[in-house]
Amino acid sequence: MESFLIAARAVHYASSISLAGVFAFISFVAIPEISPRLGQRLSMLAWASLVLAVLSGGAWLVFVAAQMSGQPVAATVSQGLVAIVLQRTRFGQVWMVRAVLAVILAALLSLPRGWRGRLWNWGGLAFAAGLLASLAWAGHGGATPGRPGDLHLAADMLHLLAAGAWVGSLIPLALFLAGAWQNADPGARTLRRVVTRYSVLAATSVGVLFAGGLANTWFLAGSTPALIGTDYGRLLLAKVAIFVTMVTIGSVNLLRMLPRLAPTAAEGAPRQRAALSHLRRNALVEAGLGLAVLGIVAVLGILPPGLHTEPGWPLPFRLELAALEPAAIAALAIFAALAVICAIIGVATAAAGRYRAMAAAWASLIICVAAGVFTARPAIAPAYPTSFYAPAEPYSAPSVAQGARLYTESCAVCHGANGKGDGPAAQVSPIRPADLTAPHLFAHTPGDLFWWVSHGKANGAMPGFAAVMSPADRWDVINFVRARAAGVLSQKLGPEIATTAAPAVPDFAFETQNGQQTLHRLLRNGPVLLVLCEAPPSAARLAQLDAVQRGSGAAPLRVIVVDLAAQAMSRAETAPSPPPVAISPDVTATLKLFRTPADGPETDLMLDRAGNVRARWATGKGGVPDAETLAKDAYMAAQIPASPENHAGHIH
Amino acid sequence: MVTHRMIVAAAVCAAAIAAKPHGVCAHAFLDHASPAVGSSVPTAPTAVTMWFTQQLEPAFTTATVIDKSGNNVDSGPAAVDTQNPTELRVPLKPLPAGTYTVTWHALSVDTHTTQGHFNFEVAGR
Repeated sequence: MESFLIAARAVHYASSISLAGVFAFISFVAIPEISPRLGQRLSMLAWASLVLAVLSGGAWLVFVAAQMSGQPVAATVSQGLVAIVLQRTRFGQVWMVRAVLAVILAALLSLPRGWRGRLWNWGGLAFAAGLLASLAWAGHGGATPGRPGDLHLAADMLHLLAAGAWVGSLIPLALFLAGAWQNADPGARTLRRVVTRYSVLAATSVGVLFAGGLANTWFLAGSTPALIGTDYGRLLLAKVAIFVTMVTIGSVNLLRMLPRLAPTAAEGAPRQRAALSHLRRNALVEAGLGLAVLGIVAVLGILPPGLHTEPGWPLPFRLELAALEPAAIAALAIFAALAVICAIIGVATAAAGRYRAMAAAWASLIICVAAGVFTARPAIAPAYPTSFYAPAEPYSAPSVAQGARLYTESCAVCHGANGKGDGPAAQVSPIRPADLTAPHLFAHTPGDLFWWVSHGKANGAMPGFAAVMSPADRWDVINFVRARAAGVLSQKLGPEIATTAAPAVPDFAFETQNGQQTLHRLLRNGPVLLVLCEAPPSAARLAQLDAVQRGSGAAPLRVIVVDLAAQAMSRAETAPSPPPVAISPDVTATLKLFRTPADGPETDLMLDRAGNVRARWATGKGGVPDAETLAKDAYMAAQIPASPENHAGHIH
Repeated sequence: MVTHRMIVAAAVCAAAIAAKPHGVCAHAFLDHASPAVGSSVPTAPTAVTMWFTQQLEPAFTTATVIDKSGNNVDSGPAAVDTQNPTELRVPLKPLPAGTYTVTWHALSVDTHTTQGHFNFEVAGR
């Protein structure tokens, strides 16, 4: 059924674009020059497009209703589900509006020729554009919430309209050129004017398509792995490649063929006729490529966007730009810019037929690429198909606690109870098991770890656990290992706000007077001070923390006080006598990873908005901070931009 | 001249695609829930509330809550908030201590379906 939906979508996109293209061609390109014969042909093309659009739109509606309800197509119609979709979903409401637009367009096309004036042209253009642009509501862009959603929707609409103006008017252009070819004396100046006007329309549309496509890629693919590692991304790249081919053909038309349409007397008409047929063929080829693009678009619309599928990384290595010196990154940027310039010169010289210059440009390009690879060498890290998988289990206390149990069962025998790589089996292993508390752990993506836990290490020292652990279990173990290493790393921090943070504290839920709260949601308001106590904190300390939280400091600081020994949690805002609330042992076990026995009764962690640990204090290591220090550090921590949210926390 | 500009634009486009921007979600996925995913609450909640990354279609979005032995413990159908269409709420019967599973099926307004499930625990007193 999915293939029927794709087919209906493809036909509907193509016919809506063709209909808008006819009116765009009449309004922007050919108004005065339109012959009665061409007008008749365009009218027939518009009718055919409208009928196809209505039929395919109906099919799309039925298939979508079936998909939404999970019922077979026949049941969808007989049980009145289509009516429910029409009345009660936004897709249905958009479709009803579009049906009205289609009826108006049919009425316009039925008007006799004598009644058609300028107003008819522009009215038809407006309604056909409305029919096309409203398709944006049926796509991914229509559902993003808030201001980004409006932007996305606007970008999608512009993208559709530009496609209509450019690709949709290719067939009308071909019809016009065919008419000119059949006509013995096409009139060189008329021809040139029409083709030039078409080129302006096409070039404008291409610019809009670039901008809209760029916005869409940003919204839906999001990253290089998503682009080359998912079906969605690869189809998108294929679409871009076809688009570039179309632009190239269009440019050749403009640069090579346009001058030949107005031949000098010496060259004569045959040259003009050859150019005409060449132009017409190119327009048809471009239209065919445009149809291929629309086929891809039809598939893209039903695929989950690249951001929401796990990208299978196709290469055995990846670039870890963070591992490079700033100077090396600058050099890399310069090489990239030079390479782009060389490529541009290469294409331009090829188009101009200057082949020696072209060869020089391509040679320079190869040198730039080689220099870039040489500079980027230290950043090349081994990668695996799962390297860019996002953890399927959220990085949170329940997962970490479950991972700790699984770690004790399966991993501690080699890697040791504390993860130092000193388990009982390590003594007899020819290769020392990895120290899972070393900072180096974070040089690997969670996806790298997932590959090793699943399939073992290539050196044979570590077995794979794919057969005995579910994927969720493996992610739990990885979350635990990362949380423990984060705890160990955080011990290196001092009372100053660090420029290089220790990795994040796992998310956890806790009770407040107003119900349940989580660390992540609290962090949206700004930095958080996490106070971990082994014994109930004194009333004076609670009052002090309460004052910090309520204080008139430059930046708001939220305080969470956790009494690990009593397994109780309170927030400083309820001080001085907070009622202890039961919390799950999972949370206590997870937070204990961020303390050491040497800390004494209290450990304080300053978390930036991403949850990363930026400063650390302990009673046993220089004492806990006073209100003034906290206010100052909170202000500094608030200035650190929160890294963009990834989708790792979502449950799929 | 137009070609050259187009080629420059193409190069800029390619460079921008190669760069790594951040993304905005496009299918409706669970952003967060109350009670939080996997969490333990001391007192039984009267409802489960879920916040999604996209606006939902009320007619085709459902959620159910079951206890360990598979009995339904929701006291009515899940409802999408009329003010905030990304919010889905399931009313609950009075819950004894135990572990509960929430299963959701969401249809976002761009006609895509997603589903998922998560647990929460009501701690014994």
